[in-house]
Amino acid sequence: MNILSSVPSEYLGLSSALAVLVLLTEFAMLRVQFSRSQVKLYAIQSAIVTVLAVFIAVERDIPGLFIVAIISLILKVIAIPKIVMRLLDQTKVELVSSHRISVPSMILLALLLGAVGMFVIDRLPFHSHSLPTSGLSVSMAVILVSFLLVIFRSDVVSQAVGFFSLENGVSMASLVVAAGLPLVVETAFFFDLLVAVVVFGVLMRVHHQRTSTLSTEGLNRLRG
Amino acid sequence: MKIDVSVIQLLQVATVLCLSPLVSGIVTKIESRLQGRTGSRILQPYYDLYKLFKKETLVTQDSGIVFYLGPFVAFTCYLIVPMLIPVLTNFPLPLGYTGDILGGGFILALAGFAVALAAIDSKGPFAQLGSSRAMTFGALIEPAILFVTFTVALITSTDLPYAEAATIRSSFTQVIRPSHLLAMSAFFLVVLNDTGRIPVETHASTIEFGMIDEARTIEFSGPIFAIAKWGSFMKQMILYVILMNVFTVPWGLAGTKTVVSVLEAIAVLMLKAIAIGFLFALIDNSFSKLRLFKVTELTATAFLISVLAVLALFVGGG
Repeated sequence: MNILSSVPSEYLGLSSALAVLVLLTEFAMLRVQFSRSQVKLYAIQSAIVTVLAVFIAVERDIPGLFIVAIISLILKVIAIPKIVMRLLDQTKVELVSSHRISVPSMILLALLLGAVGMFVIDRLPFHSHSLPTSGLSVSMAVILVSFLLVIFRSDVVSQAVGFFSLENGVSMASLVVAAGLPLVVETAFFFDLLVAVVVFGVLMRVHHQRTSTLSTEGLNRLRG
Repeated sequence: MKIDVSVIQLLQVATVLCLSPLVSGIVTKIESRLQGRTGSRILQPYYDLYKLFKKETLVTQDSGIVFYLGPFVAFTCYLIVPMLIPVLTNFPLPLGYTGDILGGGFILALAGFAVALAAIDSKGPFAQLGSSRAMTFGALIEPAILFVTFTVALITSTDLPYAEAATIRSSFTQVIRPSHLLAMSAFFLVVLNDTGRIPVETHASTIEFGMIDEARTIEFSGPIFAIAKWGSFMKQMILYVILMNVFTVPWGLAGTKTVVSVLEAIAVLMLKAIAIGFLFALIDNSFSKLRLFKVTELTATAFLISVLAVLALFVGGG
Protein backbone atom coordinates (compact mmCIF):
# COMPACT_ATOMS: atom_id res chain seq x y z
CA MET A 1 0.00 0.00 0.00
CA ASN A 2 1.57 3.24 -1.09
CA ILE A 3 0.52 5.95 1.28
CA LEU A 4 2.42 8.63 -0.58
CA SER A 5 0.24 8.42 -3.66
CA SER A 6 -2.97 8.47 -1.63
CA VAL A 7 -3.26 12.00 -0.32
CA PRO A 8 -6.98 12.32 0.38
CA SER A 9 -8.95 14.98 -1.48
CA GLU A 10 -10.30 17.95 0.46
CA TYR A 11 -13.72 16.33 0.89
CA LEU A 12 -12.35 12.98 2.04
CA GLY A 13 -9.70 14.58 4.23
CA LEU A 14 -12.19 16.82 6.03
CA SER A 15 -14.79 14.09 6.49
CA SER A 16 -12.17 11.65 7.80
CA ALA A 17 -10.89 14.33 10.17
CA LEU A 18 -14.44 14.82 11.50
CA ALA A 19 -14.84 11.05 11.90
CA VAL A 20 -11.56 10.83 13.83
CA LEU A 21 -12.74 13.75 16.00
CA VAL A 22 -15.81 11.70 16.94
CA LEU A 23 -13.47 8.88 17.99
CA LEU A 24 -11.38 11.31 20.05
CA THR A 25 -14.43 12.58 21.96
CA GLU A 26 -15.28 8.94 22.68
CA PHE A 27 -11.81 8.47 24.20
CA ALA A 28 -12.29 11.69 26.16
CA MET A 29 -15.55 10.35 27.61
CA LEU A 30 -13.66 7.30 28.78
CA ARG A 31 -11.11 9.48 30.49
CA VAL A 32 -12.97 12.36 32.15
CA GLN A 33 -13.73 12.24 35.82
CA PHE A 34 -17.14 13.86 36.17
CA SER A 35 -20.49 12.72 34.84
CA ARG A 36 -21.34 16.26 33.79
CA SER A 37 -18.25 16.49 31.58
CA GLN A 38 -19.26 13.18 30.02
CA VAL A 39 -22.67 14.55 29.13
CA LYS A 40 -21.10 17.70 27.68
CA LEU A 41 -18.70 15.57 25.63
CA TYR A 42 -21.67 13.56 24.39
CA ALA A 43 -23.32 16.78 23.22
CA ILE A 44 -20.08 17.79 21.44
CA GLN A 45 -19.79 14.36 19.82
CA SER A 46 -23.39 14.51 18.60
CA ALA A 47 -22.72 17.99 17.23
CA ILE A 48 -19.74 16.66 15.24
CA VAL A 49 -21.86 13.81 13.84
CA THR A 50 -24.50 16.40 12.88
CA VAL A 51 -21.89 18.56 11.14
CA LEU A 52 -20.65 15.45 9.31
CA ALA A 53 -24.19 14.69 8.12
CA VAL A 54 -24.67 18.28 6.88
CA PHE A 55 -21.26 18.16 5.19
CA ILE A 56 -22.13 14.96 3.32
CA ALA A 57 -25.60 16.30 2.45
CA VAL A 58 -24.06 19.40 0.86
CA GLU A 59 -21.12 17.74 -0.87
CA ARG A 60 -22.92 14.63 -2.13
CA ASP A 61 -26.28 16.31 -2.68
CA ILE A 62 -28.44 14.07 -0.46
CA PRO A 63 -31.24 16.36 0.80
CA GLY A 64 -32.69 13.66 3.07
CA LEU A 65 -29.65 13.99 5.29
CA PHE A 66 -30.61 17.58 6.17
CA ILE A 67 -33.72 16.30 7.94
CA VAL A 68 -31.64 13.65 9.71
CA ALA A 69 -29.20 16.39 10.75
CA ILE A 70 -32.00 18.60 12.08
CA ILE A 71 -33.56 15.75 14.11
CA SER A 72 -30.11 14.79 15.41
CA LEU A 73 -29.39 18.42 16.36
CA ILE A 74 -32.63 18.80 18.31
CA LEU A 75 -32.57 15.37 19.90
CA LYS A 76 -28.93 14.47 20.49
CA VAL A 77 -27.22 17.85 20.84
CA ILE A 78 -29.90 19.66 22.84
CA ALA A 79 -32.63 17.41 24.27
CA ILE A 80 -30.79 14.34 25.58
CA PRO A 81 -27.91 16.22 27.29
CA LYS A 82 -30.48 18.53 28.86
CA ILE A 83 -32.58 15.64 30.17
CA VAL A 84 -29.54 13.82 31.61
CA MET A 85 -28.27 17.07 33.16
CA ARG A 86 -31.66 17.62 34.79
CA LEU A 87 -31.59 14.07 36.17
CA LEU A 88 -28.11 14.78 37.52
CA ASP A 89 -29.35 18.00 39.15
CA GLN A 90 -31.94 15.99 41.08
CA THR A 91 -29.37 13.54 42.42
CA LYS A 92 -26.52 14.25 44.78
CA VAL A 93 -23.48 13.27 42.74
CA GLU A 94 -20.54 12.08 44.81
CA LEU A 95 -17.04 13.03 43.68
CA VAL A 96 -15.68 9.50 43.63
CA SER A 97 -13.83 8.07 40.66
CA SER A 98 -15.77 5.36 38.92
CA HIS A 99 -12.80 4.05 36.94
CA ARG A 100 -12.42 0.34 37.53
CA ILE A 101 -8.83 0.41 36.23
CA SER A 102 -6.36 3.31 36.00
CA VAL A 103 -6.90 5.86 33.25
CA PRO A 104 -3.64 5.20 31.30
CA SER A 105 -4.23 1.43 31.18
CA MET A 106 -7.81 2.04 30.13
CA ILE A 107 -6.66 4.34 27.32
CA LEU A 108 -4.11 1.76 26.14
CA LEU A 109 -6.74 -0.99 26.23
CA ALA A 110 -9.21 1.17 24.31
CA LEU A 111 -6.50 2.03 21.77
CA LEU A 112 -5.79 -1.65 21.21
CA LEU A 113 -9.47 -2.50 20.85
CA GLY A 114 -10.08 0.45 18.53
CA ALA A 115 -7.11 -0.55 16.36
CA VAL A 116 -8.36 -4.13 16.09
CA GLY A 117 -11.80 -2.88 15.08
CA MET A 118 -10.36 -0.50 12.49
CA PHE A 119 -8.11 -3.10 10.86
CA VAL A 120 -10.84 -5.77 10.82
CA ILE A 121 -13.34 -3.47 9.08
CA ASP A 122 -10.64 -2.27 6.67
CA ARG A 123 -10.41 -5.82 5.29
CA LEU A 124 -14.05 -5.73 4.13
CA PRO A 125 -14.44 -5.49 0.34
CA PHE A 126 -16.72 -2.51 0.54
CA HIS A 127 -17.16 0.75 -1.34
CA SER A 128 -19.35 3.70 -0.55
CA HIS A 129 -20.03 6.80 -2.58
CA SER A 130 -20.78 9.07 0.37
CA LEU A 131 -17.79 8.58 2.65
CA PRO A 132 -14.50 6.67 2.44
CA THR A 133 -14.57 3.14 3.88
CA SER A 134 -12.26 4.46 6.59
CA GLY A 135 -15.33 6.18 8.07
CA LEU A 136 -16.77 2.74 8.73
CA SER A 137 -13.51 1.62 10.39
CA VAL A 138 -13.56 4.68 12.65
CA SER A 139 -17.21 4.18 13.58
CA MET A 140 -16.44 0.55 14.46
CA ALA A 141 -13.69 1.84 16.76
CA VAL A 142 -16.21 4.30 18.30
CA ILE A 143 -18.65 1.45 18.96
CA LEU A 144 -15.99 -0.78 20.55
CA VAL A 145 -14.62 2.03 22.74
CA SER A 146 -18.14 2.88 23.91
CA PHE A 147 -18.50 -0.78 24.97
CA LEU A 148 -15.37 -0.29 27.07
CA LEU A 149 -16.91 2.86 28.56
CA VAL A 150 -19.95 0.86 29.63
CA ILE A 151 -17.84 -1.98 31.02
CA PHE A 152 -15.05 -0.11 32.80
CA ARG A 153 -16.90 2.79 34.40
CA SER A 154 -19.03 1.73 37.31
CA ASP A 155 -21.68 4.45 37.39
CA VAL A 156 -25.10 4.67 35.81
CA VAL A 157 -24.38 7.92 33.93
CA SER A 158 -21.33 6.45 32.18
CA GLN A 159 -23.38 3.47 31.12
CA ALA A 160 -26.18 5.66 29.77
CA VAL A 161 -23.73 8.00 28.00
CA GLY A 162 -21.83 4.97 26.70
CA PHE A 163 -25.01 3.58 25.20
CA PHE A 164 -25.98 6.94 23.66
CA SER A 165 -22.53 7.44 22.15
CA LEU A 166 -22.70 3.90 20.80
CA GLU A 167 -25.71 5.13 18.88
CA ASN A 168 -23.55 8.00 17.57
CA GLY A 169 -21.10 5.42 16.27
CA VAL A 170 -23.92 3.50 14.60
CA SER A 171 -25.36 6.60 12.98
CA MET A 172 -21.89 7.51 11.69
CA ALA A 173 -21.62 4.00 10.22
CA SER A 174 -25.02 4.47 8.59
CA LEU A 175 -23.73 7.69 7.00
CA VAL A 176 -21.03 5.58 5.31
CA VAL A 177 -22.99 2.47 4.45
CA ALA A 178 -26.30 4.01 3.49
CA ALA A 179 -26.29 7.79 3.39
CA GLY A 180 -29.47 7.69 1.34
CA LEU A 181 -31.20 5.43 3.85
CA PRO A 182 -34.98 5.89 3.73
CA LEU A 183 -36.00 8.53 6.22
CA VAL A 184 -38.46 6.15 7.90
CA VAL A 185 -35.60 3.87 8.97
CA GLU A 186 -33.58 6.83 10.30
CA THR A 187 -36.59 8.08 12.23
CA ALA A 188 -37.02 4.60 13.70
CA PHE A 189 -33.41 4.86 14.94
CA PHE A 190 -34.19 8.12 16.66
CA PHE A 191 -37.29 6.68 18.32
CA ASP A 192 -35.12 3.82 19.51
CA LEU A 193 -32.84 6.38 21.08
CA LEU A 194 -35.76 8.18 22.71
CA VAL A 195 -36.93 4.92 24.26
CA ALA A 196 -33.38 4.34 25.52
CA VAL A 197 -33.39 7.80 27.12
CA VAL A 198 -36.63 7.02 28.93
CA VAL A 199 -35.35 3.62 30.06
CA PHE A 200 -32.06 5.04 31.31
CA GLY A 201 -33.86 7.93 32.98
CA VAL A 202 -36.04 5.49 34.91
CA LEU A 203 -33.01 3.30 35.66
CA MET A 204 -31.03 6.26 37.02
CA ARG A 205 -33.90 7.40 39.22
CA VAL A 206 -34.77 3.96 40.56
CA HIS A 207 -31.12 3.11 41.16
CA HIS A 208 -30.56 6.39 42.99
CA GLN A 209 -33.69 5.93 45.10
CA ARG A 210 -32.82 2.38 46.11
CA THR A 211 -29.09 2.83 46.79
CA SER A 212 -28.85 6.64 47.09
CA THR A 213 -25.78 6.59 44.86
CA LEU A 214 -25.13 6.49 41.14
CA SER A 215 -22.34 3.96 41.47
CA THR A 216 -23.09 0.41 40.36
CA GLU A 217 -20.42 -1.10 42.62
CA GLY A 218 -23.09 -2.21 45.13
CA LEU A 219 -24.84 -4.35 42.51
CA ASN A 220 -22.13 -6.98 42.94
CA ARG A 221 -23.79 -7.94 46.21
CA LEU A 222 -26.82 -9.17 44.29
CA ARG A 223 -24.87 -12.14 42.96
CA GLY A 224 -26.19 -15.47 44.23
CA MET B 1 21.24 42.13 -1.55
CA LYS B 2 21.90 38.42 -1.13
CA ILE B 3 23.48 36.70 1.82
CA ASP B 4 25.59 33.58 1.67
CA VAL B 5 23.86 30.37 2.85
CA SER B 6 26.51 29.77 5.50
CA VAL B 7 25.75 33.20 6.95
CA ILE B 8 22.06 32.31 7.09
CA GLN B 9 23.05 29.05 8.75
CA LEU B 10 24.89 30.99 11.47
CA LEU B 11 22.04 33.47 11.65
CA GLN B 12 19.64 30.62 12.53
CA VAL B 13 21.79 29.74 15.55
CA ALA B 14 22.25 33.41 16.45
CA THR B 15 18.49 34.02 16.30
CA VAL B 16 17.77 31.24 18.76
CA LEU B 17 20.74 32.25 20.94
CA CYS B 18 19.91 35.94 21.17
CA LEU B 19 16.11 36.02 21.01
CA SER B 20 15.25 33.06 23.25
CA PRO B 21 15.54 35.09 26.50
CA LEU B 22 13.26 37.72 24.94
CA VAL B 23 10.63 35.08 24.06
CA SER B 24 10.83 33.74 27.59
CA GLY B 25 10.49 37.27 29.00
CA ILE B 26 7.45 38.01 26.86
CA VAL B 27 5.77 34.72 27.79
CA THR B 28 6.42 35.38 31.47
CA LYS B 29 4.96 38.87 31.07
CA ILE B 30 1.84 37.49 29.36
CA GLU B 31 1.50 34.93 32.12
CA SER B 32 1.71 37.63 34.82
CA ARG B 33 -0.91 39.74 33.05
CA LEU B 34 -3.21 36.69 32.85
CA GLN B 35 -2.84 36.28 36.59
CA GLY B 36 -3.60 39.96 37.18
CA ARG B 37 -0.03 40.88 38.11
CA THR B 38 2.09 43.58 36.49
CA GLY B 39 5.00 41.18 36.04
CA SER B 40 8.66 41.88 35.40
CA ARG B 41 10.02 43.65 32.33
CA ILE B 42 10.18 41.62 29.14
CA LEU B 43 13.95 42.18 29.08
CA GLN B 44 14.33 40.79 32.60
CA PRO B 45 15.88 37.46 31.44
CA TYR B 46 18.77 39.42 29.85
CA TYR B 47 19.34 41.34 33.11
CA ASP B 48 19.23 38.07 35.03
CA LEU B 49 21.82 36.49 32.76
CA TYR B 50 24.05 39.61 32.97
CA LYS B 51 23.81 39.58 36.76
CA LEU B 52 24.60 35.86 36.99
CA PHE B 53 27.61 36.15 34.69
CA LYS B 54 29.13 38.74 37.04
CA LYS B 55 28.66 36.60 40.15
CA GLU B 56 30.95 33.96 41.58
CA THR B 57 30.27 30.23 41.26
CA LEU B 58 29.81 28.33 44.48
CA VAL B 59 30.32 24.57 44.36
CA THR B 60 29.83 22.01 47.10
CA GLN B 61 32.98 20.13 48.08
CA ASP B 62 31.46 16.80 47.00
CA SER B 63 30.89 17.88 43.38
CA GLY B 64 33.20 16.75 40.61
CA ILE B 65 34.01 17.77 37.06
CA VAL B 66 30.61 16.59 35.72
CA PHE B 67 28.93 19.35 37.69
CA TYR B 68 30.92 21.96 35.75
CA LEU B 69 30.68 20.28 32.35
CA GLY B 70 26.96 19.39 32.31
CA PRO B 71 25.50 22.85 31.56
CA PHE B 72 28.13 23.52 28.88
CA VAL B 73 27.45 20.22 27.09
CA ALA B 74 23.73 21.01 27.19
CA PHE B 75 24.34 24.56 25.92
CA THR B 76 26.40 23.21 23.00
CA CYS B 77 23.63 20.75 22.15
CA TYR B 78 21.10 23.58 22.05
CA LEU B 79 23.43 25.45 19.68
CA ILE B 80 23.61 22.47 17.31
CA VAL B 81 19.87 21.76 16.98
CA PRO B 82 18.97 25.10 15.26
CA MET B 83 21.23 24.05 12.37
CA LEU B 84 19.05 21.02 11.67
CA ILE B 85 15.60 22.59 11.79
CA PRO B 86 13.96 25.25 9.60
CA VAL B 87 14.29 28.35 11.79
CA LEU B 88 14.42 31.07 9.12
CA THR B 89 14.35 29.55 5.63
CA ASN B 90 12.02 27.20 3.84
CA PHE B 91 14.83 25.92 1.61
CA PRO B 92 17.31 23.50 3.18
CA LEU B 93 20.62 24.99 4.31
CA PRO B 94 23.92 23.07 3.88
CA LEU B 95 23.80 21.47 7.34
CA GLY B 96 20.02 21.01 7.28
CA TYR B 97 20.23 17.45 6.02
CA THR B 98 22.96 16.29 8.40
CA GLY B 99 20.40 15.24 10.97
CA ASP B 100 16.75 14.19 10.84
CA ILE B 101 14.04 14.51 13.49
CA LEU B 102 15.47 11.54 15.38
CA GLY B 103 18.94 13.09 15.23
CA GLY B 104 17.64 16.36 16.65
CA GLY B 105 15.73 14.36 19.28
CA PHE B 106 18.92 12.54 20.27
CA ILE B 107 20.84 15.80 20.64
CA LEU B 108 18.05 17.29 22.78
CA ALA B 109 18.02 14.08 24.86
CA LEU B 110 21.81 14.35 25.30
CA ALA B 111 21.33 17.88 26.62
CA GLY B 112 18.72 16.67 29.11
CA PHE B 113 21.02 13.81 30.10
CA ALA B 114 23.98 16.19 30.68
CA VAL B 115 21.92 18.51 32.90
CA ALA B 116 20.54 15.52 34.82
CA LEU B 117 24.05 14.16 35.40
CA ALA B 118 25.27 17.57 36.55
CA ALA B 119 22.30 17.79 38.91
CA ILE B 120 23.13 14.38 40.38
CA ASP B 121 26.78 15.41 40.74
CA SER B 122 25.72 18.51 42.67
CA LYS B 123 24.80 16.09 45.50
CA GLY B 124 21.76 18.18 46.42
CA PRO B 125 18.73 16.01 47.23
CA PHE B 126 16.25 18.28 45.43
CA ALA B 127 18.41 18.43 42.31
CA GLN B 128 18.62 14.65 42.30
CA LEU B 129 14.89 14.36 42.82
CA GLY B 130 14.32 16.75 39.94
CA SER B 131 16.57 14.89 37.52
CA SER B 132 15.02 11.58 38.53
CA ARG B 133 11.54 12.96 37.85
CA ALA B 134 12.60 14.62 34.60
CA MET B 135 14.10 11.37 33.31
CA THR B 136 11.04 9.32 34.32
CA PHE B 137 8.52 11.62 32.68
CA GLY B 138 10.85 12.11 29.71
CA ALA B 139 10.81 8.36 29.16
CA LEU B 140 7.01 8.30 29.38
CA ILE B 141 6.55 10.96 26.69
CA GLU B 142 9.11 9.28 24.39
CA PRO B 143 6.65 6.80 22.74
CA ALA B 144 4.47 9.72 21.62
CA ILE B 145 7.50 11.43 20.01
CA LEU B 146 8.38 8.18 18.23
CA PHE B 147 4.90 7.77 16.79
CA VAL B 148 4.86 11.40 15.62
CA THR B 149 8.16 10.64 13.85
CA PHE B 150 6.61 7.54 12.28
CA THR B 151 3.73 9.64 10.98
CA VAL B 152 6.14 12.16 9.45
CA ALA B 153 8.16 9.32 7.96
CA LEU B 154 5.06 7.69 6.44
CA ILE B 155 3.75 10.96 5.00
CA THR B 156 7.01 12.28 3.54
CA SER B 157 8.97 8.99 3.23
CA THR B 158 11.87 10.78 4.92
CA ASP B 159 12.10 12.05 8.44
CA LEU B 160 13.66 15.38 7.68
CA PRO B 161 12.03 18.43 9.28
CA TYR B 162 12.42 20.43 6.04
CA ALA B 163 10.56 17.76 4.03
CA GLU B 164 7.65 17.67 6.52
CA ALA B 165 7.31 21.47 6.45
CA ALA B 166 7.46 21.49 2.64
CA THR B 167 4.78 18.76 2.47
CA ILE B 168 2.44 20.78 4.67
CA ARG B 169 3.02 23.91 2.57
CA SER B 170 2.46 22.02 -0.67
CA SER B 171 -1.35 21.89 -0.55
CA PHE B 172 -4.41 22.47 1.59
CA THR B 173 -5.26 18.75 1.46
CA GLN B 174 -2.05 18.02 3.35
CA VAL B 175 -3.12 20.40 6.12
CA ILE B 176 -6.56 18.91 6.71
CA ARG B 177 -5.68 15.22 6.40
CA PRO B 178 -6.47 13.57 9.75
CA SER B 179 -3.02 12.04 10.23
CA HIS B 180 -1.37 15.46 10.04
CA LEU B 181 -3.90 17.06 12.40
CA LEU B 182 -3.44 14.24 14.92
CA ALA B 183 0.38 14.26 14.72
CA MET B 184 0.30 18.04 15.16
CA SER B 185 -1.89 17.82 18.28
CA ALA B 186 0.24 15.01 19.72
CA PHE B 187 3.41 17.07 19.23
CA PHE B 188 1.65 20.05 20.80
CA LEU B 189 1.09 17.97 23.95
CA VAL B 190 4.71 16.81 23.85
CA VAL B 191 5.95 20.41 23.75
CA LEU B 192 3.49 21.34 26.51
CA ASN B 193 5.10 18.59 28.57
CA ASP B 194 8.69 19.42 27.67
CA THR B 195 8.52 23.15 28.32
CA GLY B 196 7.54 22.53 31.93
CA ARG B 197 3.87 23.30 31.48
CA ILE B 198 2.54 19.91 32.39
CA PRO B 199 -0.42 19.94 34.71
CA VAL B 200 1.75 19.37 37.79
CA GLU B 201 4.62 21.78 37.69
CA THR B 202 4.21 25.47 38.36
CA HIS B 203 6.32 27.10 35.69
CA ALA B 204 9.34 28.88 37.20
CA SER B 205 8.16 28.46 40.77
CA THR B 206 10.18 27.71 43.87
CA ILE B 207 7.85 25.16 45.43
CA GLU B 208 9.85 21.96 45.64
CA PHE B 209 6.86 19.58 45.57
CA GLY B 210 5.89 20.50 42.04
CA MET B 211 9.40 20.92 40.70
CA ILE B 212 10.60 18.84 37.82
CA ASP B 213 12.84 20.68 35.38
CA GLU B 214 13.52 23.68 37.60
CA ALA B 215 14.72 21.50 40.46
CA ARG B 216 17.67 20.25 38.44
CA THR B 217 19.43 23.60 38.44
CA ILE B 218 18.76 24.38 42.10
CA GLU B 219 22.42 23.93 43.16
CA PHE B 220 23.90 25.97 40.31
CA SER B 221 25.13 29.51 40.87
CA GLY B 222 26.97 32.25 39.02
CA PRO B 223 28.03 31.84 35.36
CA ILE B 224 27.27 28.10 35.36
CA PHE B 225 23.70 28.87 36.42
CA ALA B 226 23.54 31.53 33.70
CA ILE B 227 24.58 28.95 31.11
CA ALA B 228 22.02 26.44 32.42
CA LYS B 229 19.28 29.09 32.45
CA TRP B 230 20.14 30.32 28.96
CA GLY B 231 20.10 26.70 27.81
CA SER B 232 16.57 26.22 29.11
CA PHE B 233 15.46 29.45 27.33
CA MET B 234 16.97 28.06 24.11
CA LYS B 235 15.35 24.66 24.62
CA GLN B 236 11.93 26.32 24.93
CA MET B 237 12.57 28.40 21.79
CA ILE B 238 13.79 25.35 19.84
CA LEU B 239 10.70 23.35 20.77
CA TYR B 240 8.47 26.29 19.80
CA VAL B 241 10.30 26.53 16.45
CA ILE B 242 9.87 22.81 15.73
CA LEU B 243 6.20 22.98 16.68
CA MET B 244 5.56 26.05 14.49
CA ASN B 245 7.89 25.72 11.52
CA VAL B 246 7.66 21.95 11.09
CA PHE B 247 4.21 20.90 12.28
CA THR B 248 1.77 23.75 12.72
CA VAL B 249 2.38 26.90 10.66
CA PRO B 250 5.39 26.48 8.36
CA TRP B 251 4.53 29.70 6.53
CA GLY B 252 6.29 33.05 6.68
CA LEU B 253 9.78 31.62 6.29
CA ALA B 254 12.33 33.19 3.97
CA GLY B 255 12.05 31.79 0.46
CA THR B 256 15.04 33.68 -0.98
CA LYS B 257 18.50 34.59 0.24
CA THR B 258 17.90 38.36 0.33
CA VAL B 259 18.45 40.36 3.50
CA VAL B 260 14.87 41.65 3.52
CA SER B 261 13.28 38.21 3.40
CA VAL B 262 15.55 36.87 6.16
CA LEU B 263 14.77 39.88 8.39
CA GLU B 264 11.08 39.38 7.67
CA ALA B 265 11.42 35.72 8.63
CA ILE B 266 12.95 36.73 11.99
CA ALA B 267 10.06 39.13 12.66
CA VAL B 268 7.44 36.54 11.71
CA LEU B 269 9.20 33.93 13.83
CA MET B 270 9.01 36.22 16.87
CA LEU B 271 5.32 36.90 16.27
CA LYS B 272 4.59 33.19 15.94
CA ALA B 273 6.64 32.38 19.07
CA ILE B 274 4.72 35.00 21.06
CA ALA B 275 1.40 33.65 19.79
CA ILE B 276 2.26 30.09 20.76
CA GLY B 277 3.69 31.23 24.09
CA PHE B 278 0.41 33.05 24.76
CA LEU B 279 -1.50 29.86 23.97
CA PHE B 280 0.69 27.84 26.34
CA ALA B 281 0.38 30.41 29.12
CA LEU B 282 -3.39 30.43 28.62
CA ILE B 283 -3.57 26.62 28.85
CA ASP B 284 -1.25 26.61 31.84
CA ASN B 285 -3.42 29.13 33.69
CA SER B 286 -6.79 27.65 32.70
CA PHE B 287 -6.33 24.27 34.34
CA SER B 288 -5.69 23.53 37.97
CA LYS B 289 -2.55 21.67 38.87
CA LEU B 290 -2.93 17.95 39.45
CA ARG B 291 -1.17 15.33 41.53
CA LEU B 292 2.26 14.27 40.31
CA PHE B 293 1.12 10.81 39.30
CA LYS B 294 -1.53 12.28 37.00
CA VAL B 295 1.30 13.09 34.57
CA THR B 296 0.82 9.65 33.07
CA GLU B 297 -2.68 10.70 31.98
CA LEU B 298 -1.25 13.52 29.87
CA THR B 299 1.45 11.30 28.39
CA ALA B 300 -1.11 8.54 27.73
CA THR B 301 -3.27 11.09 25.89
CA ALA B 302 -0.31 12.24 23.77
CA PHE B 303 0.51 8.59 23.02
CA LEU B 304 -3.12 7.85 22.11
CA ILE B 305 -3.28 10.76 19.67
CA SER B 306 0.06 9.94 18.03
CA VAL B 307 -0.88 6.26 17.58
CA LEU B 308 -4.21 7.34 16.10
CA ALA B 309 -2.22 9.48 13.64
CA VAL B 310 -0.39 6.39 12.36
CA LEU B 311 -3.64 4.36 12.36
CA ALA B 312 -5.37 7.14 10.41
CA LEU B 313 -2.74 6.81 7.68
CA PHE B 314 -3.47 3.12 7.18
CA VAL B 315 -7.18 2.71 7.95
CA GLY B 316 -8.54 6.14 8.93
CA GLY B 317 -8.72 7.81 5.54
CA GLY B 318 -5.20 9.29 5.22
